[in-house]
Parts: sequence; structure tokens; C-alpha cells
Amino acid sequence: MARLARAEQHPAATGTTLVVMVGLGVAFLLFMAFLNVIKSGNLLNDSNLLYAALIFYSGAGTLYLGFGVTGIPSYVRFASLATWAGLIANTGAVAHRWYESGHPPFASIYEMLLSFVWTLAVLTLIAEKKFGVKVIGTVTMPVAIVGVVLMQLLRTEVHPLVPALQSTWLHVHVTLAMLAYAACALSFALAMMFLIKDKMKTETFLAATSLFGIGTYLGVLTRFEKWGGLSVIAWDPERKSEMFIAKGARLFIVIPDLGWLMLLVLAAVAAPLALYLVWRKTGKENLIDIANRAVFVSILLQVLALVFFLLRARDGRYGSLDADGLFSTSLAASPFILSGLVGGIFVSLLYLLLLWRRQDLERMLPSAEELDRITYKTIAIAFPLLTLMIAAGAYWANRTWGSYWSWDPKETWAAITWLVYAGYLHMRVTRGWRGRRAAYFAILGFAVVMFTFFGVTYLLPGLHAYA
Amino acid sequence: MAATAHSALWKTVRKFWQSLGAIKTGVVLLILVVIISAAGTVILQRPATDADEMQRAYSPQVLRLLDGAGLTDVFHARWFVLLLSLVSLSIIAASLQRFPNSWRFFSRPYKSTDESFRNALPNHVLIPIKDEEQALSITERVFQKAGFRAEHIVRESSFSLFGERHRFSELAVYIVHASLLLIFLGGIVDALYGWRGFVTLNRGQQSSQVEAQNGSKRNLGFAVRCDGAGQENYADGTPKRWWSDLVVLDNGRETLRKQIVVNDPLVYRGIRFYQASYGSTGKLDKLVLIATPRDGSAPKDVAIALNETVPLDPDTTVRLAEFIPDYVVRDGQIYARSSDLENPAARLVVESRKSNHAVDFWLPSIPGFEQNASSPYTFEGKDLQMAYFTGLEVSHEPGQWSVWAGVLVMGLGLAVVFYFVHIRVWAAPVRDARGQLMLWIGGTANKNKDVFEQRFRELVEQIKTELKVSSKAGAETPVTSLAGK
Repeated sequence: MARLARAEQHPAATGTTLVVMVGLGVAFLLFMAFLNVIKSGNLLNDSNLLYAALIFYSGAGTLYLGFGVTGIPSYVRFASLATWAGLIANTGAVAHRWYESGHPPFASIYEMLLSFVWTLAVLTLIAEKKFGVKVIGTVTMPVAIVGVVLMQLLRTEVHPLVPALQSTWLHVHVTLAMLAYAACALSFALAMMFLIKDKMKTETFLAATSLFGIGTYLGVLTRFEKWGGLSVIAWDPERKSEMFIAKGARLFIVIPDLGWLMLLVLAAVAAPLALYLVWRKTGKENLIDIANRAVFVSILLQVLALVFFLLRARDGRYGSLDADGLFSTSLAASPFILSGLVGGIFVSLLYLLLLWRRQDLERMLPSAEELDRITYKTIAIAFPLLTLMIAAGAYWANRTWGSYWSWDPKETWAAITWLVYAGYLHMRVTRGWRGRRAAYFAILGFAVVMFTFFGVTYLLPGLHAYA
Repeated sequence: MAATAHSALWKTVRKFWQSLGAIKTGVVLLILVVIISAAGTVILQRPATDADEMQRAYSPQVLRLLDGAGLTDVFHARWFVLLLSLVSLSIIAASLQRFPNSWRFFSRPYKSTDESFRNALPNHVLIPIKDEEQALSITERVFQKAGFRAEHIVRESSFSLFGERHRFSELAVYIVHASLLLIFLGGIVDALYGWRGFVTLNRGQQSSQVEAQNGSKRNLGFAVRCDGAGQENYADGTPKRWWSDLVVLDNGRETLRKQIVVNDPLVYRGIRFYQASYGSTGKLDKLVLIATPRDGSAPKDVAIALNETVPLDPDTTVRLAEFIPDYVVRDGQIYARSSDLENPAARLVVESRKSNHAVDFWLPSIPGFEQNASSPYTFEGKDLQMAYFTGLEVSHEPGQWSVWAGVLVMGLGLAVVFYFVHIRVWAAPVRDARGQLMLWIGGTANKNKDVFEQRFRELVEQIKTELKVSSKAGAETPVTSLAGK
């Protein structure tokens, strides 16, 4: 009842505010992408097709959000139309890339993102049409948009394949990985929706949102330098690659003052969690209201951090602690930081959506049992794919390096992912875990997948240097 | 006394075995494996990281601690192997403990239907019928059409139908567990009997020994010869392909010949040779020269290796006496500055048999050393072929076949576990509380229960319609109430 009353306090205008906010964010991202298109100059190439896909996906994302906010069924029709259009453009981009490079688009992180977003869009449409989970796009489309925006910033030149990558088994391996990861992403989205439908407290989501933000900014701040700088990898604009001081050791440069800003944002995203903890102790209801306002403020600060990061990473030359002289950097050199910042904003926005329009969301979701079942089914698809992905990777490694398993970090983390999902399946089958606990497990599984995909590449050293 | 001690021991072993097979033990072990392997990816590992870097990364005390705990080589530490063995044991125990039950279920399926079973089954309906025989034959037909080969179950006092599909899926989980054990077995065999080594070959060179990882030499029992190696580049200069032509010589006989490239090794007697590196030895392979006689006759091409003597005409020979890849003249001496092909020079000795007179011909001409003017031939460089070596990674993994077999079996097993549902259906004529004749239809599935429920409803609807059709055709009085539920 209290929640209902709070929702009533906000007039319909707040929904519009949200749409406007998202619209503004999308417009800003579109503008960034547009700069790239002007630079490249020719019309029908994969980056332009991708740009078209971005427009459609953004439209779809906005409409899905609009559907989440207002519950008007026609929104979802247009949203899936836009998703279809985006998918067609995306398919064109994949095909063009494939044709141009002569190999399936899995060789670099750019090409992998291309395939990942494509798979995600396909799965979104399947989940919507086949399983009737209409609001799924509210979660998956922002992910797709972040993916496409990242691609706009990453290098797009076709690089010839180095000898180790010229293998059919590699393509099999990466295709399976993309399919499996996309299925994991879907199971994550479904588990979140289950938690919403299962009447998990909005305050818990508040704490989770805050935790996600804290994790992201702590990750970013591992690059914090003395005197408030933030170190990023230097970028060689002519060779379009990261710069190295020695084999395997990247050259870091320090952008001054950005570290302080990130620290400030960390405090802002951590505030709701602190307030939540005090609320748990004291039970003062108004603390949660303050925490919700703090989330709003943190979004503004996060956008500010993103803008500053974009501006300072695009231009300017910075000094390094390890080498003399000034070097430039590029957004392409810091995809991890960038996706973290953009992801943080999206997560906070989704929390606000939940806060303001929870009832409408719940009304539009299938029943909790249904969501629980579909989550299990997506994992039942993801798990065999993960198994085959690891097997194909091992087979490829055996043909290339002469050993099928060498415990390099990517391999180890793939095995950990596999074990987590194996744990989920065992608990479900033998212990009858359903509902909340199964949903937590699905969320944990996806977190591990994300770490394997991004974290290992950027944080841990190893053989998988290509991706 | 001995007997009780024996039985106490037996009890402990049993208890240990029981708890080893418990799901809780399995989960705890898996969590341990996850935490330890995650730690192994965060902490720098030997020998992949060299000792200097380890010392730079960690303070001496921390490093000593990590080394002591085996955390700097987690994946090869004894206790990690022990942990993995415990996981295997736990899988074996869990499977063995649960298998008899599943096997009983598999080999003696529950086919007849008694009262308590009928009431306990979640999916069942009752349809009023007129004639037992006719209803059962219709049901059998519908079952048949839906893919269930119906079995007639005859007991002393009852007659019923039983149909099922994919009974084998009940055992698939054991197949998955067995496949995991196959993979582990392969890993253990390779850890015990597998080895890795390295060998470098120049063109034409052969070797029957490789250098193992610990620096010792290992005899192959046969020899490998490299007949050629090379690199091809893309237009932008990045490498496209490395290749080596390898020949296997067993007892001096040529038994196998293959061009290997990255991703495509040569395999002989279970030993694999991988293209691992490629580079210049700094030595000359062949120098191609244009030799022009001073008497005005036609010039000719001469290919010459170091210390090789080549006849130019019946009277004259040339020998490549010296080759310096990067020469420099200092203090009246010729020095080799490096072994890179930067500034090459060659000393040819031209010998005339008739006059028994030899001259040094320097290419290019180095004043103070050359006697080029008195040579009966002049030489011009045409091509310079350097010698390249190929680095071959050698590995022997006898356990890998067990691993691949395990992977295949696991793929099949998982497909069956997730996508083959064991469905059972029963039908029996019964009398309800009021003595009315009814057809009881029940069904169950071991997974995907929601899909099965839908399917079961359709099956029941079909039986109902067929019953209606036949009773309309056969009986004079139409059946009015078919609401079975």
C-alpha cells in the first residue's frame, strides 16, 4: 500500500521525464557515432549499417522503455518492428564485414561485439514472440545499444588474421561462445524479471543498483594514480592500436584530475547503499526517499563523469609515469571503462523505471513460475553451448599450441562459468531449487560470464591476447 | 574383538563413502575448486611468469608465503591434483549410490495402475465411457499416433494400457558423469605420461632428440628432418603463414612427409610436431652470382653455398670462402658487426688450374683486400638466400583420446539430459464412486513439465473427440456429457 501511494505521488509527468532523459542520452550517443560516419566518408559499409542498427535499436530501446512506463501495447509492436529493422541492418553489417575480411566476424573484440549484439537481438525477438516476455527488450536493448556504441568507438579496420587464428575450429569456438553468452544474458534478464514479479523489495533493488555502481567505479579506480589522475592505455592513432613499452606491457598515460571525479561519483553511487543499510538498522522510512533522490543525483554525476571521460580521452596528449613525452589516447583503448560507465547509467535508469512504474511492469510480465521456468530453459540451452564452446576451444588449442588445456586465465574462467551453471542445474534437479535462489544463481552465472568476457581480457594476462 | 574393530572400520568407510556422495560434499568441493582456480588466475603463476617478474611483483615475504602454500603454481600443485581427485571420487560415489535406484526405475518401469497411484499422479483425468474395449482401442490408437507404442498390461482383474517415450533419458545423467570421468582420466594420464619439448631445425638438418621443458634431452626413437621452412606475408607486411616441410626418418627410412603450418601439426607415433617459431639463423644458405668471363664469352649464373667449389669452365673454379652478413672495415681489418643481414660481403676464391693461381674476389669490392682486377671472371650478386630455422613444439599426450571421447559422450549425454524427456502415459477403465464406468488417463514427464501438461491436455482432448465420433457413429443414443474433469 505504501508503495502504491508513493507511485501515485509522482504524476504521469515523471514517465515523460524519463523518456526525455533517455532520449537525450540516446541523442548524445548518436551524435558521437555520427562523428565517426562523417570521418569515414563512404556510404555502404559496416560502420554505416551499424549506425542504422544503432538508430533502430535505440528507437526500440526507448519504445520498450516507454512500454515499461506506460503499458501502451502499441509501443511494444513498434518496438519489435524497430528491433527487426535494427536486426536487418545489423545482419547487413555482419555480412559486409564477413565479405570484406573473408572470415567470419569473430577475430577481434569489435567483431565479437558485432556478433554478440546480433545474437542478442535475435534472442530478444524469440523471447518476445515465442515466450511472450514482452518487456525483455527493456533490459536487452540497452545492452545491445551499449554494444553498438562501443563498436563505433573501437577500431573497425579489417585486420588480416594472424596464422594462429586461421582455423575453422576457432570460428566454431567463438560462434558457440557468442550463442552461449547471449543465452546467459537472456537468462540473467529473465531472472531479474522473476525477482520483480516475485515481489522482491524495491529497496533490495536499490541496494543492488548501488552495489553494481560501487563495483564499476571501484574497477575504474584501480587505475587511480597519485594526485588524482586516472591512468588509461595510450593509443597510437596511426597504427590504430594500443601502445606498448615492452612485449605484453601496455603503456599507461595519466589523465589528470579525472581520478578525483571518479572518486566523487563513487561516493555518489555508494550513498544509496549506505542509506539503505542505515534504513535496515533504524527503519526510518524517509531514508529510502533520500536514497532514491541520491540515485537520481548519482545518475547526473555519472553522466558528467562519462562526458568528461569522453571529452578528455578523445583529445589532448598526456604524460606517462613510465616513459618520457606526451601521448594521446582514444576511447578505443579503454572499452572496459567506457562500458562500465555507460552500463552504470543504464542500470540506474532501470532502477528508476522500477521505482516509478513497478506495478505496470509487474502487470505486463508473465507469472513468476513461468519466468522461473523460462530462465531454466534458457540455461538448459546455454549450458550445452558452453560445454561445446569449451570443447571446441580445447580442440583448437590442441591443434595450435599442442595442449588442450593449459590453465590460462580465460580457460580457467570459462571452466568456472561452466561449474557455476553446473551447480545451478544440480541444485535445481536434486535439491529442487526454484524461485529466488535459482534466480540468484542465474544472476551470479551471468556476472561470471561478464567477467570471463571482459574482465579476464582487460585485467588478467594470458594467451587469449587476440580478443 | 577383531570382528567389532573390523565392523567399526567398515562403518567409518561406509560413512565416508556416503558423505562423499552427498550433494553437499559435491557442492563444497566445487566451490573450493572455483575459489582456488580463480586465485590461480589472479596470482602470477610460475613457470609462465619468470622469476625476475615474480620478484618485482611481490615482496620477498609475500612471495615466500605464496611459494610455500603452492599458490604460485596452483594448477600443478599436489593438493590441487588431490582436490580434483576428490571431486572425481565424489562424482563416482554420487553416481554409484544413486544408480541402483535409477536402474530399477529403468529396467522395471511401473506399468500397471493401482488406486493410490492413480490418485497421486498430478496429471490425470477421468472420462465417462460406455464400452471398455472400444474406449481402450481408441485410446491405443491416439497414443500410437502421438508416438507412444502402447503396451497391453493384463493383470488378474484388470486390463490397462501403458505407453512411454525416451526411457533412456533417465540414465543420461550417468552418461554425463561418466564422460566427465573420462575427461579427468585423460588429464591424469597426460599429467603422468605426457611431455612437451622443443626442437630447432635448420634446412636440411635432422634431429632425433628434443629438449624437454626441464632442459633434459629426450630421444624420439626416430628422426625428423626439415626440408624447408618459410613465411608468407600479407600485403601490409603482417605474417600470413608459417610453414615447414618435415620428413620423418624411422630406422633411416623415410616414412612420412608433411608440410606443417600453424594449426596443422604432423603426428607420428602419437608425437605431435607444431609450427611454433621461425627465424633467420644469420647464416647464408645460397648465394646466386652472375659470373662474366673477361674473354667476352656469355655470362652465366652460379649458385654457391659456403665453402662450396663450383667449376666455371674446365680450367677455372670458384669457391665461396667467407660470408659476412654485416661487415665493417676498421683499422685495416674486416669485422662482422652483427649477424643481421645489413651490409653483406662475400670473399670468393677464383682458382685457375692451368696456372695454379688463386685470387681473392671481394663482393662488393673492398679496396686493400680485393684482387678483383686480376680475376679471370667478374662476379655480380643476383640473389642472396639466407638460412632460416624452424622452431617446433613437440608434445606427447596419450590421454587426449580419452578427453575427446569424454567430450563427445558429454555432448550426447547433455543433449539427452536436456532435450529428451521421458514421458509415460497410462489408460485404464475404472469405476468411480457411483459405479459409473470411466476411462482413467494419466501421464507424467521427468522434465519440461509445463510443455508436457499442454501436450497431455491435447492428448485427452483428442481421445474425447474420437470417443464422441465413434459413439455417434455406433450408438443410437448420443453421449451428452463428456465433461470428464
